[in-house]
Amino acid sequence: MRTFEYVRPLDVPDALAAHAGDTATAYLAGGTTQLDLMKDGVLEPARLVDITRLPMRGIFTEGTALRVGALTTMEELAADPTVERRLPLVREALLLGASVQLRNMATIGGNLLQRTRCRYFRDPGVAACNKRAPGSGCAAVTGPARMHAILGVSERCIALHASDVAVALVALDAVVHVEGPEGDRSVPLTEFYVEAGTRPEVEHTLGHGELITAVEIPRLPETTRSGYLKVRDRVSYEFALTSAAVALDIENGMIRDARIGLGGVGSKPWRAAAAEEVLRDAPPGPAVFREAAEAAVTGAWTVPGTEFKVELAKRTLVRQLTTVSEVAP
Amino acid sequence: MSTARELPVVGPALDRVDGPAKTAGQARYPSDFDAPGQAHGALVQSTIAAGRITGIDTSAAEAAPGVLAVFTHLNVPPLPRGPMTGLGVSPPAPLRDDRILHHGQHVALVVAETREQATAAARLVRVGYASVEPVLDLDDPRATTVDDPWGLDSERGDVEAGLAASAVRVEATYTTPDNTNNPLGLFSTLAAWDGDRLTVHDATQWPSMVRETLAHVFGVPETSVRVLSPYLGGGFGAGLRAWPHVILAVHAARELRRPVKLVLTRPQMFTSVGHRPKGVQHVRLGASADGRLLAIEHRGRSLLAAEDDDYEPFAAGSAVAYACPNVLTRDQQVRANVPAPVSMRAPAHAQGGFALESAMDELAQALELDPLELRLRNVADVHPALGLPWTSNALRECYAVGAERFGWSRRPARPRSQRDGHWLVGQAMAGVSYPWYQAPSLARATVTADGHAVVGGSGMDIGTGTYTVLTQLSARLLGLPPERVRLELGDSDLPKAPQAGGSGLTGALGSAVHDACTKLLDAFLDLVRDDPASPLRGSAPEDVLAADGGIRRRDDADRSETYDAILARHGRRELSADGSSTPARPAELGMAPAGAFGAHFVEVKVDEDLGLVRVSRLTTVIDGGRILNEKTARSQIIGGAIGGIGMALFEDTITDPVSGRIANATFGDYLVPVHADIPAMDVTFVGEPDRASPLGTKGVGEVGLVGVAAAIANAVHHATGIRVRSLPITLDALL
Ligand SMILES: Cc1cc2nc3c(=O)[nH]c(=O)nc-3n(C[C@H](O)[C@H](O)[C@H](O)COP(=O)(O)OP(=O)(O)OC[C@H]3O[C@@H](n4cnc5c(N)ncnc54)[C@H](O)[C@@H]3O)c2cc1C
Ligand code: SF4
Repeated sequence: MRTFEYVRPLDVPDALAAHAGDTATAYLAGGTTQLDLMKDGVLEPARLVDITRLPMRGIFTEGTALRVGALTTMEELAADPTVERRLPLVREALLLGASVQLRNMATIGGNLLQRTRCRYFRDPGVAACNKRAPGSGCAAVTGPARMHAILGVSERCIALHASDVAVALVALDAVVHVEGPEGDRSVPLTEFYVEAGTRPEVEHTLGHGELITAVEIPRLPETTRSGYLKVRDRVSYEFALTSAAVALDIENGMIRDARIGLGGVGSKPWRAAAAEEVLRDAPPGPAVFREAAEAAVTGAWTVPGTEFKVELAKRTLVRQLTTVSEVAP
Repeated sequence: MSTARELPVVGPALDRVDGPAKTAGQARYPSDFDAPGQAHGALVQSTIAAGRITGIDTSAAEAAPGVLAVFTHLNVPPLPRGPMTGLGVSPPAPLRDDRILHHGQHVALVVAETREQATAAARLVRVGYASVEPVLDLDDPRATTVDDPWGLDSERGDVEAGLAASAVRVEATYTTPDNTNNPLGLFSTLAAWDGDRLTVHDATQWPSMVRETLAHVFGVPETSVRVLSPYLGGGFGAGLRAWPHVILAVHAARELRRPVKLVLTRPQMFTSVGHRPKGVQHVRLGASADGRLLAIEHRGRSLLAAEDDDYEPFAAGSAVAYACPNVLTRDQQVRANVPAPVSMRAPAHAQGGFALESAMDELAQALELDPLELRLRNVADVHPALGLPWTSNALRECYAVGAERFGWSRRPARPRSQRDGHWLVGQAMAGVSYPWYQAPSLARATVTADGHAVVGGSGMDIGTGTYTVLTQLSARLLGLPPERVRLELGDSDLPKAPQAGGSGLTGALGSAVHDACTKLLDAFLDLVRDDPASPLRGSAPEDVLAADGGIRRRDDADRSETYDAILARHGRRELSADGSSTPARPAELGMAPAGAFGAHFVEVKVDEDLGLVRVSRLTTVIDGGRILNEKTARSQIIGGAIGGIGMALFEDTITDPVSGRIANATFGDYLVPVHADIPAMDVTFVGEPDRASPLGTKGVGEVGLVGVAAAIANAVHHATGIRVRSLPITLDALL
């Protein structure tokens, strides 16, 4: 039987020491990704460092931002009064994700690092998967790929980053706080993830053994309206086909600021900067929304199963821009 | 005595008698059983869909901790294929040779001391393959086909002439995907040999069939095999066959001389225990200008395993659905490198009903006739093929009551004419004529000295309420309160009863229970015939009825006696009677035995930009003959309709077109409806007791599913003007 070592340090230095950057070691938070992949035989660590006892839980106000400890659960963050009042897009993205049981276990740090749902990746019986076995090919590009990505992908890998809340957080310019053997650093979330590119096995810039300690979420100005729309086949408990996190600052009939994240489409949580550019200093309305949506999906790379997502993503964004712009400020 | 005729048409909603045991975790499901000293199995499955095994290296697995044995085609002797069953052939024997016929085929069974050890060692089995390009598609020119597989192809009149004479014709092709039965309970087998005696706890819907199969395969008398399935975590047809993994577990237990337990994993449930096969159907309809059907042609093709059979006549049901002089139905199966299909709740009719009732909606539209009116003009008031009156048929009432409850008269005729914000709104309907099915059954009823009854047969309760309705029925027939009746089911040692499937068990076993209870009363009367101490002395069956824990004269309520008093006076600990039932024969009845009828009325909302489809209302009216228990029957219809919603909008087993691997074999990826997808459902029963059986029941287990997908597709058309002829209806088709 495959055995592994399990340790549960009580503070961050001990955790870092227990991990020590060893390639056969992995951190364990809520386990909803990590343990699933171990049961499926995709991950086979020799040692698990359980980080759930580290003092990295809770939500604190720091100036104009919220500092969210990496071990805060999805449910806890969604229930936070400031998040409820000032960051509806975050709250909605959280509550439309997974199920309540999962959200009670799943942590924010783990959510950002969740692995793709690609069923070819998650079945070691499939030989061709560049993400799992670099250089082996990609079985999904010729397969039924309805749940795959269209932005930041290539024939080497079309896997989707399926997090909902990360889509809202990239739109908000959240910052990830990291501690590692070399000390702390912080990385804007927009620079944290990397596109599939030529090395699909590399998903982010976190060093192996580094810990996410907190996520800093800038609060939106009082006047900003925001929301998250998730489009999927069934009403709940499903990943997004497409989604849009939108925050708009509208003043005197003009969009002063726009923040847009797209889900269900990217190899990483997708910040639609080009669409924001179109909207900035424009009056809200169907034509400009459509123009922004076109800009958002330029460069889409599709396979037969994902073709519909180009149009669906545009319509999702247009709908959410319309909805948010009509919300009373 | 008390007869079935005195039962109400719709029986009282007695709560499930097994509810408390189930909610308290006391009801034991197949995988809850353990045997002392048991070992655990784990399967290794093929990762190619077609070809040969060139080598199996089991050395690492055999050397792994706890491993007792690794069974492969190299060390398992040829096992005989199971026998012919009442539902067709048994699956081919497992591990026959080096050939691979589908992805996920079992290629080895690893047995170890613990499940974890077996699972880990199974990953160490190295299998070499020589792969060939698999046949996966209905249209693959290399595929062999089977025409008229069940001899059900039918023809009456002249369809071409009927079409030529029609003022309006429609013609369309409909496709349905593979669906997977997906009972929540993982299928499991626990096999224990004691010399030549074999006891098996199996996730089966048919204990007596598994017993016969195992006796045949392992060369022991049926009487030395006992198969138990007292509770099952659902089946939906997956439990209607003795699958290869069952045979393997029993074989391993015999070889290792210790009990072996094998529980499938969820992904294995997609390849090991059947599925509803994908298919394509072509329908042509013709009608006169006033909406009388003049021609129905229905051709169906479905996918079949390379070397196994499956009952899936998509088209056959269309021969009897409507009064129509010219009808042609043709069914064909296409052999491919896919896992074996199996009957899944409402087999064939689920798919056939989608095509026919969609086509009827298209015809109504072409005729500019109300779709309900079109159905009413074509109701088959007599059996359209036999020309005989039905034993019961309240289809017209289903339509009338459903239309009234749903508010059909307020529906605008024109598609895409209602909206609610972003949502386009539409309403539509479908009719259902479900076929009659019944198998013979035995049952036994016993009253013990303490005045309790034990009633049973080998049939099992798949979760539908068989324990409950038979408790109610027996209590009523024996004049006992339900608390004093205990049902024994799901044990092949009990009198042989048929499968829980085909909507036939309540009718078959219920009729046998009725017979057994009747005979048991006769036996009591026999006992007191010459008994001077009995107030019932000399009574004939028609003079008495069962009441208050015993028997009393119809003409004199004071002349009565309880069972316990009779048994005590005669020094008996119990009295038993065996009962039986046989299916009605149309020729003898002079009538055509009817299955259930029904009508579904559905409202959907479709997001005009995003294509999201939500079912917002569903009204279903069912003629199920006599309903023994309002509540369990309603639950059956609701469950069936939810299955229909799943089929319409979500369920889609996806096969990788290159490898033949099922690409979404988990509950995260294979979508079934969640609560939020299900609207409030309005279910009503109409009709009268059916005349084909003494009980007057007709099965209600499947009819609730049939036609729902068509009603939803029709409602999507009514909402949007877009006709979707391929299931599931997902938003991509509506963008
Ligand atoms: C059935 C199902 C449905 C789901 N649906 C959704 C959905 O709709 N939307 C959505 O957004 N998500 C969904 N998820 C994903 C879920 O949100 C993630 O699995 C979860 O957030 C991961 O958090 P965790 O604490 O369980 O992480 P773990 O599983 O413990 O860890 C995940 C990964 O992150 C690493 N890790 C965790 N914490 C840290 C840290 N602080 N520092 C460094 N590394 C760390 C671990 O080593 C591991 O590699 C679903 C999951 C499941 C199983
Ligand atoms: S899409 Fe990416 S994760 Fe999926 S099979 Fe291809 S390489 Fe692997």
